[in-house]
Amino acid sequence: MTQDTASTTGKTPQADTPAGKRSPSPLSVLLEPVRGRVASAAALQGLAGVLGLVPLVCVAELADTLLEPGPPDRALLWTLVGLALAGAVAALTAGAASTVVGHLADNDMQLSVRRSLAAHLGRVPLGWFSGRGSGRAKKALHDDVAEVHSLIAHTLPDLAAVVAVPVAALAYLVSVDWRLALVAVALVVGGVFLFARAMAGGMAKFAEYTRAMNDINASAVEFVQGIQVVKHFGGHRRAHARFLDAADAFADFFVAWSRATTPVTVASFLLLSAPMTAALSVLAGVGLVAAGWSEPASVVAFALLAPALCAPMNVIGSRVQQIQAAKAAASRVADLLAEPPLPEGSGGAPRDARVVFDGVRFSYSADRRDAAREALRGVDLVLEPGTVTALVGSSGAGKSTLATLLARFHDPVEGTVSVGGADLRTLPTGTLYRTVGFVFQDVRLLRESVADNIALGRPGATREEIEDAARAARIHERILRLPRGYDTVVTEEAALSGGEAQRVSIARAILADPSVLVLDEATASVDPAAEADIQDALSDLARGRTVLVIAHRLATVTGADRIAVMEDGRIVESGTHEELLGRGRRYADLWSAQHGSGGRQGEEQ
Amino acid sequence: MIRAFLKAMGPGHTRPVAVSLALTTFASALQGVVFALLVPVLEGLLGPDPSTATPWAVALAVGTAVYAVLKSTSLYLNFRVGGSISRALHHRIGDHLVRLPLGWFTGSRLGELNRIATEGVSRTTSLPVHTYPPLADAVVTPVVAVAALFLFDWRLALACAACLPLLWMVFTLSNEAVGRGDAARDTVADEAADRVLEYARAQPVLRAFGRVDSAHTVLDRALAAEHAGARALLLKAVPALVAYSFTVRLVLTLLLALSLHLLLGGTLAAPTAIALIVLLVRFVHPLSAAAESGAVLRMAVNGLARINTVLDARPLPEPATPVPPQGAEVEFHDVRFSYTPGEPVLDGVSFPAAPGTLTALVGPSGGGKTTVTRLLARFHDVDAGQVLVGGVDVRDIGSEELSRHVAVVFQDVYLFDATIADNVRVAAPGASEADLDRVAARSGLDRVVAELPDGWETRVGEGGTSLSGGQRQRVSIARALLKDAPIVVLDEASAALDAENEALLTETATDLARDRTVLVIAHRPATVAAADRIVFLDGGRVAEQGTPEELLALDGRHAAYVRARQRALGWRLTGEPASDTTRPTP
Repeated sequence: MTQDTASTTGKTPQADTPAGKRSPSPLSVLLEPVRGRVASAAALQGLAGVLGLVPLVCVAELADTLLEPGPPDRALLWTLVGLALAGAVAALTAGAASTVVGHLADNDMQLSVRRSLAAHLGRVPLGWFSGRGSGRAKKALHDDVAEVHSLIAHTLPDLAAVVAVPVAALAYLVSVDWRLALVAVALVVGGVFLFARAMAGGMAKFAEYTRAMNDINASAVEFVQGIQVVKHFGGHRRAHARFLDAADAFADFFVAWSRATTPVTVASFLLLSAPMTAALSVLAGVGLVAAGWSEPASVVAFALLAPALCAPMNVIGSRVQQIQAAKAAASRVADLLAEPPLPEGSGGAPRDARVVFDGVRFSYSADRRDAAREALRGVDLVLEPGTVTALVGSSGAGKSTLATLLARFHDPVEGTVSVGGADLRTLPTGTLYRTVGFVFQDVRLLRESVADNIALGRPGATREEIEDAARAARIHERILRLPRGYDTVVTEEAALSGGEAQRVSIARAILADPSVLVLDEATASVDPAAEADIQDALSDLARGRTVLVIAHRLATVTGADRIAVMEDGRIVESGTHEELLGRGRRYADLWSAQHGSGGRQGEEQ
Repeated sequence: MIRAFLKAMGPGHTRPVAVSLALTTFASALQGVVFALLVPVLEGLLGPDPSTATPWAVALAVGTAVYAVLKSTSLYLNFRVGGSISRALHHRIGDHLVRLPLGWFTGSRLGELNRIATEGVSRTTSLPVHTYPPLADAVVTPVVAVAALFLFDWRLALACAACLPLLWMVFTLSNEAVGRGDAARDTVADEAADRVLEYARAQPVLRAFGRVDSAHTVLDRALAAEHAGARALLLKAVPALVAYSFTVRLVLTLLLALSLHLLLGGTLAAPTAIALIVLLVRFVHPLSAAAESGAVLRMAVNGLARINTVLDARPLPEPATPVPPQGAEVEFHDVRFSYTPGEPVLDGVSFPAAPGTLTALVGPSGGGKTTVTRLLARFHDVDAGQVLVGGVDVRDIGSEELSRHVAVVFQDVYLFDATIADNVRVAAPGASEADLDRVAARSGLDRVVAELPDGWETRVGEGGTSLSGGQRQRVSIARALLKDAPIVVLDEASAALDAENEALLTETATDLARDRTVLVIAHRPATVAAADRIVFLDGGRVAEQGTPEELLALDGRHAAYVRARQRALGWRLTGEPASDTTRPTP
């Protein structure tokens, strides 16, 4: 839907203060249902990490046995080899089990979160979707939920291993030689210290990095979407300068950031890397053996296990970033779920099809009293049952806004909109939409069969009823010419033109059979032959219902029972075509703008 | 992969990238040397005289120091190169895209391009930083270690060398299997993402027809399918994931057993055997790490392939010596064109449009009206025939020069997320406020600006979504006017035009036609009536052309069309039962 006035749905402040008490973090709320399984996955991964040390320990023990004087105990040696293999296989099994448990838990979490998001989105005010709502919905439901995936399925289990493996390795090494163990610990402490320094600056910068990346994304989207304009007005560099600027800004930032943090990052990486830890602990071992403090055999254990002690530290950084990203994603999901839904009514059904707008004020602005941005400034209007009322006025006058309130896309800030004596807010959604129907300017067909698209409002309709509606909407013949007739999937197998889609949407409304109908008359994009068909179909549809039509062409609505002229959020005059022309005010001006000043009579009969 | 990488980067950046990759490779080789040096040190240390280890320990210390310096340099360089890759790729893609014909930008390509410009580039940026180093470690380090092994024991070395191809094979197979699973999962995930967007965008309709109880929507089916699909694929992928790791560990155990066997057979001394086992463990380590980089590598390779596909797309050829057009006369000469071969959209279209005249393109939808305007602005090249501007074929004019001569008001108006003034200034960045006011008055944008609280400084939102359709259209007209081109193309079709806007558009068109060549895709009878010349297009051919009077007198297609139109306009919405005038006339 397009809005008549600038609309930016502001973030509601109450989302931040849930009833005074401190609520758990959005991430833990998301994780709650699968908490047990995530814990098992983490435990299994930790176990896998520790079991992964078993082969190394076996080799170290093997070396120890071999170096003992006298003939080696063959049975023991082969047992150690067998144990090494068993440990490796057990580690793999535990790891695989962790992967399966974690992914299945994550998969279930995704489905349930997506379902509740979808259900919630079905209840927030429709106004939320205008602007960039659909993009936000897709980001939350798809991208953000997937972001939490890597946390559940990978990061948390990995973290368990990152903690368990060094602890187990250290315990073994201390039992072998505490002096050498001190050297290994010194390496770890040094590396972690440097790493912490790199991260301290890095975390603040990480937010900046995300921002720079988002700028690129936004300008890339804009560049690609606006390529037609870019090319046409380009001067060939100018118009995509914004995209290139964002790209340069990002590259500059990336280089500056890495220049600032690389020395520490690289130092900590090196200190904890496998060749360095292995070489340094062996060199230290050579020194300690020479000093007579260590046994040569224990050096072997360190050459094997010191890297296992240090290496996990190197992945902490990326894991912390993943957790941050998942937290941010979870809070976006939580924000969406906190978006206040339209309160659901529980009142009775409307008595009749009489619609009353009573003192309706509305603003798209977050600051509801910002008078300059008020879209409706006190509208009183009665639609008598079975009559046609037309809203006319210049673009931005508030016509579409008023009509969308009848569809309860938003609730009025002040005043009421009622149908058959019942305030829209008291009607259950189902009742409301059975009573009030729409034919939109912006036709949306779903990627489903044509028949399903028509039967949208009455899923149980028979094929015969669907075809009758299509006939009444003057689209039956066209549907029969589609590759698979009524079973053709729209957009996949066949694209319908704008005029054809419009007639499908009219058929939809005919089948749904509401007693109040909102029409957004817009057929300018359709060629005349199609337009005639559409207007015939609309005439049929309108008959006998209470109709509110947003009219862009005055000629279309001269026969309306009532024409309400809107200006600046108010109804400035209303009456029949003849009455209004006779009054010689705003309507008469509009009429002459469209039909007057000689030589343009071609459109009048 | 490296070739694709260097190709995507373009010739200017080959050297630093190649240096960075070479240095990384060399550091991995040196890592192998460091591991190999552990062998004589341990051999000496575990032998009868530990002091024999000392010279080797010195060598190890030196080797490690050199490795540290080299690795730091390469890491540092990789970060720098990453930054310049990001810059170079964005520029290359951006500059290339503006040269591609607009016909190339189909709906699905737009989504794909978004992915490339964001994810694709950032994956490629991290290639030298995060993707390549572990890969070099996994391939180069073991090879160097095995080579060194030959110096110590040829039998163990041979066994290792035999194992490497086996590992490579299992790695490739399991990687392929996992890749297939990922691709299949991406497909269901994409379907679910599409359905999410559809669900959000179709909310008005879904609600209006009571279809938001999520249990029955298509969205829910897609979500459930994604859930089931991911589950099934996971269970299939796990064995493939485990297969490689299992092989690595099996190989290590076998080599361990072989060493022990040789030792017990008496042909290998205990200290040597132990030192070699340590080397084996160390060289297996980067091999198991490789398993994790498989997926990352695959994504990087796919990303590169996609980037290269875009960079390979051919721009419209530019003339070697551009010929400036002589005047603003437009002529279509027997033009044939099709978007898909075999389905001609224009099938021999010829008509002139003289400066100082208004030419109305009319006819049923699908007749080729929009295509005519696109060919005039050279969004595509003709298959046969010629489009002449000022007597020169548009292909010989050069795109920059042509774009100075032709201004188009597009049917689907796109606005950038900036102020209204910025959006109008797109056509002429240096335009003064007086210029803006002048075009605003002619396009009706002045009224819009006056009504908005922030006036010219009103931000239009992403894609212009915070303005109404009519308001957007006026910005677009103002933009085209500001461009001040001698040839103007207007498309009247716009769903959101209101009565005043339409009248204004006709006025603007006739006004512009005083001193310019104006082509209008006309829907309003008033515009058609005001035209100097009408070109009636049907089925890709000019069915009729002439002045409005001539065509009405001819009483052919156009005259019939005008009558149908008048019947449509005779339609009245009333609450009363239909009177005779509202019924279709046979």
